[in-house]
Amino acid sequence: MRSKHLRALTLVPVLAASVAIGACGSNNASSSTSSGGTSTASSGSGSTKYASGLPASDQKKGGTLKVLSVESFQHLDPGTSYFQLDFTINFATHRALYYHKPDDSTKAIPDLADGPPQISADGKTLTVKLKSGIKYGTNDPKSPINGKEVTAADVKYAFERGLNPHIANGYESIYFPLVGGAKAKGGDIAGITTPDAHTIVFKFTKNAAATAAKALVLPLSIPVPKSVAGSMDKKNPSTYDADPTKQAFTGPYMISQYSAGKSLTLVRNPQWDGSTDSRPAYLDKMTFAIGADPNVAGQQVFASPGLLQLDTPAAPAVKKFATQKPQQITFSPLGNRWVSLNYTKPPFNNVNVRKAAIAIMDRTAMQRVRGGAAVGDVASHFLSPGIPGFDEAGGMKGEGQDYVANPSGDATVAAKYMKAAGYASGKAPGTSILMIGDNSSPAKEDALIVKDSLEKLGFKVQAKLVEHSVFYSKYCQQKAQLVKIDVCANFGWLPDFFDPYAMLYVNFSGKAIVPVNGNNPSLFNDPAVNAAMDKAATIADDTARAKAWGAIDKMLVDKAAAVPWFWDKQAGIASSNVVSVIAKWNADADLSYVSLK
Amino acid sequence: MGVLLLIISAITFLIFYALPSTDPAQLRAGRSGSPELIASIRHNLGLDKPIYVQYYRYVKGIVLHFDFGFSYQTDAPVRQQIVDRLPATISLTVGAVILWLTLAFPVGIVSAVKRRSLVDRAAMGGALLAISAPVYWLGLVALYLFSNDIGQFKIFDGAGTYVPISQNVGTWFSSLLLPWMVLAASFAAFYARLLRSSLTEVLHEDYIRTARAKGLSERTVILRHGVRAAILPLVTVLGLDIGILLGGAILTESVFNIPGIGRLAYDAIKASDYATIQGTVLFGAFFIIVANLIVDIAYAVVDPRVRY
Amino acid sequence: MTGEPLLSVEDLAVRFDTEDGVVHAVDGISYTVDRGQVLGLVGESGSGKSVSSMSLMGLTAGRRTTIEGRVMFEGRDLLTLPGSEVRAIRGGAISMIFQDPLSSLHPFYTIGRQLIEGVRAHQDGVSKKAARERAIEMLGLVGIPDPRGRVDAYPHEFSGGMRQRVMIAMALVNEPKLLIADEPTTALDVTVQAQILALIKRLNEELDMAVILITHDLGVVAEIADEVAVMYAGRIVEQAKPEALFEAPEHPYTWGLLRSIPRLDTPRDQELVPVAGRPPSLINRPSGCHFHTRCPYVREAHRRIDPPLEPVALGQEDHVVRCLLPHETRLELWRSLESGADAAAAGRAAGTEVTEIKA
Repeated sequence: MRSKHLRALTLVPVLAASVAIGACGSNNASSSTSSGGTSTASSGSGSTKYASGLPASDQKKGGTLKVLSVESFQHLDPGTSYFQLDFTINFATHRALYYHKPDDSTKAIPDLADGPPQISADGKTLTVKLKSGIKYGTNDPKSPINGKEVTAADVKYAFERGLNPHIANGYESIYFPLVGGAKAKGGDIAGITTPDAHTIVFKFTKNAAATAAKALVLPLSIPVPKSVAGSMDKKNPSTYDADPTKQAFTGPYMISQYSAGKSLTLVRNPQWDGSTDSRPAYLDKMTFAIGADPNVAGQQVFASPGLLQLDTPAAPAVKKFATQKPQQITFSPLGNRWVSLNYTKPPFNNVNVRKAAIAIMDRTAMQRVRGGAAVGDVASHFLSPGIPGFDEAGGMKGEGQDYVANPSGDATVAAKYMKAAGYASGKAPGTSILMIGDNSSPAKEDALIVKDSLEKLGFKVQAKLVEHSVFYSKYCQQKAQLVKIDVCANFGWLPDFFDPYAMLYVNFSGKAIVPVNGNNPSLFNDPAVNAAMDKAATIADDTARAKAWGAIDKMLVDKAAAVPWFWDKQAGIASSNVVSVIAKWNADADLSYVSLK
Repeated sequence: MGVLLLIISAITFLIFYALPSTDPAQLRAGRSGSPELIASIRHNLGLDKPIYVQYYRYVKGIVLHFDFGFSYQTDAPVRQQIVDRLPATISLTVGAVILWLTLAFPVGIVSAVKRRSLVDRAAMGGALLAISAPVYWLGLVALYLFSNDIGQFKIFDGAGTYVPISQNVGTWFSSLLLPWMVLAASFAAFYARLLRSSLTEVLHEDYIRTARAKGLSERTVILRHGVRAAILPLVTVLGLDIGILLGGAILTESVFNIPGIGRLAYDAIKASDYATIQGTVLFGAFFIIVANLIVDIAYAVVDPRVRY
Repeated sequence: MTGEPLLSVEDLAVRFDTEDGVVHAVDGISYTVDRGQVLGLVGESGSGKSVSSMSLMGLTAGRRTTIEGRVMFEGRDLLTLPGSEVRAIRGGAISMIFQDPLSSLHPFYTIGRQLIEGVRAHQDGVSKKAARERAIEMLGLVGIPDPRGRVDAYPHEFSGGMRQRVMIAMALVNEPKLLIADEPTTALDVTVQAQILALIKRLNEELDMAVILITHDLGVVAEIADEVAVMYAGRIVEQAKPEALFEAPEHPYTWGLLRSIPRLDTPRDQELVPVAGRPPSLINRPSGCHFHTRCPYVREAHRRIDPPLEPVALGQEDHVVRCLLPHETRLELWRSLESGADAAAAGRAAGTEVTEIKA
């Protein structure tokens, strides 16, 4: 997954106190406001609206936007980047094979690619044609690559270097099981060929092309000319990452200046040709001030013109904007959270006990301590809003199971399932269970609510609360530990790209259970679900794919694979004279669409 | 000094490498990184070597090439990051030091001379307040009051957006005025109290009586004979404070968005970027050790009895 | 010497207001010093001898200090003069040296600088160079070897005796008419003490400079004083020419002081007897004779009656004492004590009661 939770790991404890304080009131305030350009997402209880639609295409051109960011960028090398904010810059300065329009995360649009990907009947070969006439721009106008055309070889090299340990792309081997990829260290890969300058062919060791085609929206498919990066990639680590001004840019903007943790400047890429690209690229220039204090940044955006905050605003700022300047705050979905229930051992190896656990869980209270509707919605299933299959799985409302129906916990329904599980009294008095949770706010409070809820079923919950990173790396991602753990209270997921596979497979397929770095903390391993997932992964057609995964989501809730409880939301704020546009797929501004009034 | 740095580096090395809460390779790989990927990153960062080899390589890099390794977070060389951040930290420190000394001296002297007077009580009460006020809070209040964008009284241009001195001296100055004041407030208060107590003590010394007996004016007695001797304890803390501040004023740098060493360290800690943490710790230690040396030299200059 | 005295202290009283109560540090003392005369002011620490001399220089002034009486110096009352004029006299016509020459010199400045500062504070328009020459001359005068070479040295680079010479040089730079030497030899070893005393005496004679020598050691004043005043609990209890005082001291406290100094003619086996008992509190002073708490010869009436300072006998107006014992008894007692008897034996010999005083 992309590093959203790296942010959660660090920023959330800092803001926790204020979130808790701001929590209670923000619910009503933000949901009662409405204005043009936004509409309320399907009717979930107390939901805050998501942005929808794009501003009219005649926005003012030109001007300089000042962007504030509390967080620093990590890796601006498209081969290495694996973090929301880095993606934002990658996609303003480069063109990948495919991309999502900001307002529609369900459809991938050809960008460098000339038409949809072609998938062979066996699902092992993926062919992509590239547009002609797309040129590189560089800061140094005398650079040999400046003005040169993008070729398939550059995309090929981008995939080759991804497996170079000096670059170490985090997801290439997961979504692109290339022939010869396992042994590749940066050189040629047998599984990638370029029959001509505008065609690239990927060959996979198994039927993976359908899912790989969806993953081509990731920055790994951004072309990297070997003539530019080749020598830098020999260094350990590659210097292509540390100095992004040396990149060869294909997007509407170029990184003209970068100082890690301090500042970044984007200027127009003179080689970018708007006629080949649907992005409007209104702004002339963007200057980024990195490292702002969260409270100060929110206040500055509120009070001054020409500003946009790139990352999550502080909770008080969200509240202030939601009540006083609702036109300037937008929300976008940002993954999900669930409570794992150990599928392999009593008591949760019994589906009825798991259903009882879902029924009793006070998910409303858990939402409240996180910060209320401004921070996210109570989940009724696993796929989060905006992901294909979400609507097929029931949208905000859910799939109608009685044990999901009451978000505040339903003791009657819970007792019913406990009885069905063989506990005649409706409770399991004295059964001891081990729960691992997070020890920093607000995740800590969430964990304690999980504990309280489960204790209502009669369980004796032994809660072990640990540091956020330890929660993952030492417990809930380690199989050897997970077999002993009954409940992981704070598991969350942001998919790498907006495809249901990226959301459900690693979290609930029995085949995704690995000794370390596993992301299936329930150790859920249901043969029917496994088979359905394997099949759905190979479906290339968008509609059929969404339907298949929607059905899988329903299976997961039917089998109570875990307690779905939260769909995170990210707020974005901007000054009143800034027309901000959020890319849903990244829950962050799409800088190529932002303009000044 | 070299030995001391070596020991400090060894300790931080042990803390960050032997007892990590998070595996840097895993962080770098992402949460779903395959074991092969993690192993490859681990190998690349040299984390698969025994700790003494890692340490030897690290020290060798520093000694031979002044190379502190690479940030796990951004892949940038740690040395370059620190050098990049130094001007901001130095600007902040030097300005604040000048400000707090110019404040602390008159207040401390007047308070010592007019002990238990109304002036003294007011000054020392105010000082106590300034010492107790949390810097972060003070910074926010200052910004909300005086910065030109979000303040009630838009006085200070560019507060909250640091501009390097190389870019524009005027804006550099105005962008730092507020941070200087906020950082200097508690120090000024502390130094004023320190000077007051030191000077009070000195004014009871025999040589002050001698100076008075010589018929010198009270002004000369206090300034030339009293203060001169009373600054010794200030020299010690001043040296250490400067050393510590050069190692980074995390809170002030954070509130006012000054990209200094402190913020670098803070961000590195947040991201478990051990190479950068290690680098900033060593630099901080280096500054403190150098500051100590300078204090020793300054002592010898101020007090002729001290010889090395 | 004829005409009015150089310094005339009349009924000087100094009180400090402290948290514990009012300290009567000096309780109405009077004395005169003529030009060129050496007055020895003797007493234990806390007897008020230092405070009295510092007060007349205005060095004890403070918000919690009350000074009463008159200090006439060359016809002007130092206690009522404005600060600037007192300052002009301090270090000018009257200068002081102190007990511990190391702590009395500023450790961070060269002695040359400290001397020059004194010159320039009192002599307008003296160039730095001239002041420096004057400093070197003075250092030579007080017996610092190689004064030109040593003028830029720091106090810690001198021995104790040399430091006191520096202090004296500093006191002399402006040719004072009166030198107040506060325990100038206490911190020094015996041979150096003698040298410093000899120096003070020489300067007293050569420069015709009056000296108030403050000490707890009667032996010191014996050598150079023209007049000796013994102080106890903020008052003068006995005053006389040194010959008379050493020959026939009349106050039991003076006896104690005398018996506590080793002398060449004291029998070898005789124990040195300090004055037994503790100095009285200056906040709650004893009733009657202030010395009665430590006096072996105390009688009931002494606890009530405060003796005046009066001549020891008719015709001996220049030997005054504050004691209620009869003159003859006092002579008897001293005779026995002088020959080595202890207080009890002396009392038996003089036929008077003796009270044991606990040390």
